[in-house]
Amino acid sequence: MSQSSSPIADLSYRHYDGPLNAPVARWWSIAKMTIQVAIKKKAFWGWSIVSSWWYLILLAVFWFMDNVAGTFGAPAEGGKNPFLSQIIWKDQFVHGFSYSQMILMVVALLVGAGSIANDNRSNALLVYLSKPASRFDYIFGKWLGVFLLISGVAITPMMIFYLYGYMSFQDYGFWSSAPWLFLKLILVALCSGAVHASLSLGISSLFNQGRIAGATYAGLYFLTYIFTGIMGGFNAIQSFGSDKPPTIIKQLFYCSVDGLQIGMAKLIIGTNGSPVFPGMTPGRGRRGGNQVDMSEFIIGIPHWQWIVPVTISVVAAGFLIAWSRVKAVEVVG
Amino acid sequence: MTNSLLKPSDSALHTSNIVSTVPLVSIRNLTVRYGSFVALNNFSCDIEAGCTGLLGPNGAGKTTLIKTILGFIQPESGEGDILGLNLKDRSREIRQRVGLMPEQDCHIPGLTAVGFVAYAGELAGMPADQALRRAHEVLEYSGLGEARYRNVETFSTGMKQRIKLAQAMIHGPKLLLLDEPTNGLDPKGREEMLELIADISKNKGVNVLISSHLLPDIEKVCDQVVVVMKGQLVKAGTVKSLRSIDGEPLDVDLREESPLFLAKMKDFGAKAISLGYSSYRVQMDGTREETMFKIMQAAQETNAQVRGIKLAQRSLEEVFLTAVGQ
Repeated sequence: MSQSSSPIADLSYRHYDGPLNAPVARWWSIAKMTIQVAIKKKAFWGWSIVSSWWYLILLAVFWFMDNVAGTFGAPAEGGKNPFLSQIIWKDQFVHGFSYSQMILMVVALLVGAGSIANDNRSNALLVYLSKPASRFDYIFGKWLGVFLLISGVAITPMMIFYLYGYMSFQDYGFWSSAPWLFLKLILVALCSGAVHASLSLGISSLFNQGRIAGATYAGLYFLTYIFTGIMGGFNAIQSFGSDKPPTIIKQLFYCSVDGLQIGMAKLIIGTNGSPVFPGMTPGRGRRGGNQVDMSEFIIGIPHWQWIVPVTISVVAAGFLIAWSRVKAVEVVG
Repeated sequence: MTNSLLKPSDSALHTSNIVSTVPLVSIRNLTVRYGSFVALNNFSCDIEAGCTGLLGPNGAGKTTLIKTILGFIQPESGEGDILGLNLKDRSREIRQRVGLMPEQDCHIPGLTAVGFVAYAGELAGMPADQALRRAHEVLEYSGLGEARYRNVETFSTGMKQRIKLAQAMIHGPKLLLLDEPTNGLDPKGREEMLELIADISKNKGVNVLISSHLLPDIEKVCDQVVVVMKGQLVKAGTVKSLRSIDGEPLDVDLREESPLFLAKMKDFGAKAISLGYSSYRVQMDGTREETMFKIMQAAQETNAQVRGIKLAQRSLEEVFLTAVGQ
């Protein structure tokens, strides 16, 4: 069967008697391949870069305010830049993370939605499970690959911005105001990776076409996103109205794919959030024509008592759906 | 019912890596159910080294047996040893020593042929560098050398069959399980695939279990046959022994039809029948040489010209149809 025109000099087939690793922990090979296949896609790199758009704006704004605009106007106390003096640094990461949510979802579609669905279509499970890889190896390997990719995409711009802030804004409390921020940011990114990986794989396992799985995941994301938007709208209207917004609205705001992640980010980082830039405060409401209280307008940290169990449940549910769907053999009744 | 196959052919014995006294596959009283449907019913058999054909009509339980061997399906009851490893608690080790070429098209999306086969090697436990080197070798051997950098999704049916074989043998399995390996192939492709399987089995020291309902394929490459019907073993043995006919009759071809020859053989006390036109089947007591002597004597006395004499054998199709009771 061998072909003499081959560029390989030695064409003689031999039985393989080289080393074989113990038949355990095949999930790492599967995770590596999931990552390798994803990073070959140009779209993955494109959307990953786009996901950092808000951090790029922040970098530009802070560089400008530090190096150009800081020379204008009266300096703040101690000769500091008045703009930078008002910045709550950890909130900038919450903003950057929030604004990248939709794009992280697109990245999850690219790397996760087709991950199991396309394997179902091509009967790849027979290849995986006929080797010494278990169902757990397969699902966990896929999950780990998607998790690492999305976590990586989420964390990279955070770290670049963190590095810039750490090197440039120590005088403005970048480090001293949140000494554990670095580790908390890693945790935020990992949390995002876990949610996206579980949901995308869980949904992917239900289909045998990546596109349909992707459309379903996107549908889930946008339906819950609209719900979050409606809750945010209620909160804003009530903040300007005669009554304080009910607490339940501020909690329901986080009941979406990106809401869960933003809520967890606020919880982990330990901030209620703040306006994007200093001076961007809400207008005057009807309650005596006074300035609306920021604590009412901003949707603060969700109660950990529900958001942590719900997030863990969502992650576990995605994994369990995949577990129940992935089988080497279709069992007929 | 436990049937033990006869010893495999000499070539298989010489090339096998398995000690011939230990069966490759030993299944005892295996029962597998899909809900209320019994796919394997108290199935027992021993499969020895060499190339074995697993024959049976559709739905007989061939694929179920293969999937049970691989640990895809947990049997309801029964025991089994594959390459000396217990079926129930060492399925991972079994899968590391066994290669599966599934019936269905299967590949991993987004990979080139060499990437796919090397990845299959890594999954089997090969170090990445060894897997890549070996993937090139196996693809060359399978006749896919020039297509190795093509995406597998662009392959033709014949190429997909070949790459399924390549990914099954990348890690040097001791036992190859081939499920309908010639499915969907044109006559030339089928011939080439059978040659490849015969070479793997006879010259490369790999034991092969082929599941098929295509009897000519089995007849061409297998030393032994296991016939399965309704989840039970109905026949097992070497191809040679199964095809042989009791009393070892001889088939005689004459130049032209000769009723006198037939009558003469009967006069000699032989059981002789006409097989049509100038062929006759002759069976006599005594040695084969004595029978041949009588045949030549009868031909001489009746002026018949003998064109050929051979040991009468049944076709595998006859064996199969008899076994399954049709």
